[in-house]
Amino acid sequence: MTISQSVAITVGDEKHTVPEGMTVIQAMWHLGDAMVKNVGCLGGACGACAIICRLPGQMLPKTALACQTMVSEGLNIRFLQGDPSKKEIAPLPAETPSRETVFQYYPETRRCVACQACTSACPQGIDVMVGVREAMIGDLALVAERFTTCVMCGFCAAVCESRIRPHRMGLYARRLAGAFYPKPPTQLDMRIAEISSGQFDREWNDVMQAAQNA
Amino acid sequence: MTEFELSKQRVAEGRESRKAAEMPRLSADEKEALLHRYHPDKKKEAYATIRIGPNQGQQTVHEVVRLLEGESPLTSKAPDLNPAHQVDVLIIGGGGAGSSAALMAQAAGAKVLMATKLRLGDSNTVMAEGGMQVAVSPEDSPVRHFVDSLKGGQMANDRTLLKALVSEGPEVAKWLIDMGVLFDREEDGNLSIRSGGGSSLPRLLRCKDYTGLELMRVLKDAVLNEEIQLLEFSPVIEFLTDGEGTCTGAVLKDLDTDKLIVVQAKTVIAATGGIGRLHIQGFPTSNHYGATGDGLAMSYRAGAALTFQDTFQYHPTGSVFPEAMAGLLVTEAIRSVGAQLLNVKGERFIYELETRDAVASAVIRECQEGRGVETPAGRKGVWLDMPLVDVLHGAGTLAEHFPNMVKQFSRYDIDISKDPVLIYPTLHYQNGGVKIDVDSESTLKNLFVAGEASGGIHGRNRLMGNSLLDIVVYGRRAGKAAAKRASEVDFKPLTLSHLDPFQAAKKAAGVVSETVSPILFPDYVNKG
Ligand SMILES: Cc1cc2nc3c(=O)[nH]c(=O)nc-3n(C[C@H](O)[C@H](O)[C@H](O)COP(=O)(O)OP(=O)(O)OC[C@H]3O[C@@H](n4cnc5c(N)ncnc54)[C@H](O)[C@@H]3O)c2cc1C
Ligand code: SF4
Ligand code: SF4
Ligand code: FES
Repeated sequence: MTISQSVAITVGDEKHTVPEGMTVIQAMWHLGDAMVKNVGCLGGACGACAIICRLPGQMLPKTALACQTMVSEGLNIRFLQGDPSKKEIAPLPAETPSRETVFQYYPETRRCVACQACTSACPQGIDVMVGVREAMIGDLALVAERFTTCVMCGFCAAVCESRIRPHRMGLYARRLAGAFYPKPPTQLDMRIAEISSGQFDREWNDVMQAAQNA
Repeated sequence: MTEFELSKQRVAEGRESRKAAEMPRLSADEKEALLHRYHPDKKKEAYATIRIGPNQGQQTVHEVVRLLEGESPLTSKAPDLNPAHQVDVLIIGGGGAGSSAALMAQAAGAKVLMATKLRLGDSNTVMAEGGMQVAVSPEDSPVRHFVDSLKGGQMANDRTLLKALVSEGPEVAKWLIDMGVLFDREEDGNLSIRSGGGSSLPRLLRCKDYTGLELMRVLKDAVLNEEIQLLEFSPVIEFLTDGEGTCTGAVLKDLDTDKLIVVQAKTVIAATGGIGRLHIQGFPTSNHYGATGDGLAMSYRAGAALTFQDTFQYHPTGSVFPEAMAGLLVTEAIRSVGAQLLNVKGERFIYELETRDAVASAVIRECQEGRGVETPAGRKGVWLDMPLVDVLHGAGTLAEHFPNMVKQFSRYDIDISKDPVLIYPTLHYQNGGVKIDVDSESTLKNLFVAGEASGGIHGRNRLMGNSLLDIVVYGRRAGKAAAKRASEVDFKPLTLSHLDPFQAAKKAAGVVSETVSPILFPDYVNKG
């Protein structure tokens, strides 16, 4: 066993000392806080533990997921309290979507001034600005691909001076791209037809009988 | 160089010569012997007899016995049970099963209320990586999917439940796609499929290694679009019954105010997920913060029977180094594309795509018999050689197909395209749970249970990718059936009188319990 060293961290305005080798969430537990409002999956997928943090040598803070970040000497941490941006009630359309479909619910997307703030704010390393520009030219498949790893933490919307909600627009574009995928999954459609026409019924009888006896 | 470093070097040196080597598969007898000797489910000291309730006399692990025999946070005389909400269907849990159920119940015209412990979507579902099994390829069939799952489940699966699962797979995949779930596709538009452990053909639909995130994001968005009434940070702490064997509602606790909220419901769907955070037998876990088996404890006290409550899935490849990552999952899909398992000597010891129970047992064997690698924090593990994937399929394969894995390890300065990682089995899944019928109804009338909280579908071992399918198929079934039932019945009295016979049985059996269940969250807070 290695002897555990301590590191000094700052949470909000309070200074603490915690053992090295912990994630920020584990450090909070160590400090006596259950963090119920800031923890979800503990696996870097849900965005509940979004933080802004800064190391002593750095000028500007960066964003991160606290369950995926190790404490280190001098780390300054602030927890975000949820994503206050509004989700529009945006049903899927009946007709093939275009960029207008997206703009109908997220019209502010057109106001992007290409400042890059959203990209620098994304803890998942998504080039959010490029995603927004792709939506502006109406390439929904590219937007969809761009936001694949989005954990919906809402940092991008929080920092956007043009009041754009890139993640919400991105998720809607993803759903459009999925529901209106240009080529149908032919094999899947065939399988559904086979099942409903009873094609496997005889095989089922045999197998179920054998399985009951097993 | 430390033993750790030396061993890692041996793995790198052996890579070229190992890359094409075949590993023999286990015979049925060998597998049986391996499981018997090393699988945690077979460890007698870890088990105890349940002394009260519907499964009295049967066995499960100490941690679950404590939960089932626990004290209620309420007593039958306690609070006034005036309902703050009256709904047709109360859905408990905001993962994939709960969300699917909510969408179907709402679509059937029911008045729905969803209550969840954390935020909607914070769950095990959101973390699933590998994929969802659906028999779509022309060579494949639902029958074949059934047979594979039955073999994987040690022939113990409930046949009726399993048949419905595999038969509805294609329809459910279509439902998801129509909702906008972006599964990976082939050039020709067909769904791209990958193989998983224990399956005779490739059948895993996936979205890179973010399948659960993709599924959960879309389901959550659909639930919000439908404006389904939602209470977050409001765990259920006890079910209500009419005192005569019918579930009539539930008591929730608002985590902000600690106030109780009484809900009267014609039907209740429990979709509360798994038990990983109970750390059974001291194992680390891959599960989310709220995976504490609440649904099991509450259903049991209200009179619902459990099934296969004694069997758990220890996923063979949980990370053990660095310490902060302990328990975190390394997806099985990485073995599907060729990553090998190696002991301290750099030797392979199991065919990597045996079922999970067998691979986990083999890893435990290596470590128990001194062929494991010790981490600086004192854990034991074996190597998972991920760089081999890039050797086999070309540089960049890991980055393209496993971006999540690459990112998670890079946060700790580990480049998985260059270095192997250390793994050990992690507590991953509850194979059993509340016993249900094919409409997802438990043995307690009007209580439906869906997803990981239920049991029977997977027998004694779930195949990779069958859980994501399970939660959508049975979430939907529960939603439909509960809405239909709600249209046929009236509200019934709200009581906690089922707690009295439970208390009496405890007394008679001499059960003294120090656990209050449901426990809601694991106790990680340092009280120092
Ligand atoms: C890391 C990981 C990877 C996985 N990968 C795969 C995979 O590739 N393929 C596959 O098929 N399966 C996979 N699984 C398994 C699968 O993801 C889960 O079994 C499945 O998603 C469970 O869904 P669920 O809806 O039943 O439960 P969950 O998704 O866990 O949802 C349960 C919900 O109930 C809530 N809850 C709990 N208690 C209460 C309470 N008392 N009151 C109110 N709400 C409560 C929780 O907060 C949560 O919202 C994986 C699991 C993990 C952990
Ligand atoms: S795109 Fe926005 S919401 Fe998504 S992870 Fe990045 S910052 Fe968070
Ligand atoms: S922060 Fe807003 S304006 Fe700036 S690039 Fe991003 S979307 Fe455009
Ligand atoms: S707790 Fe889900 S991302 Fe950290």
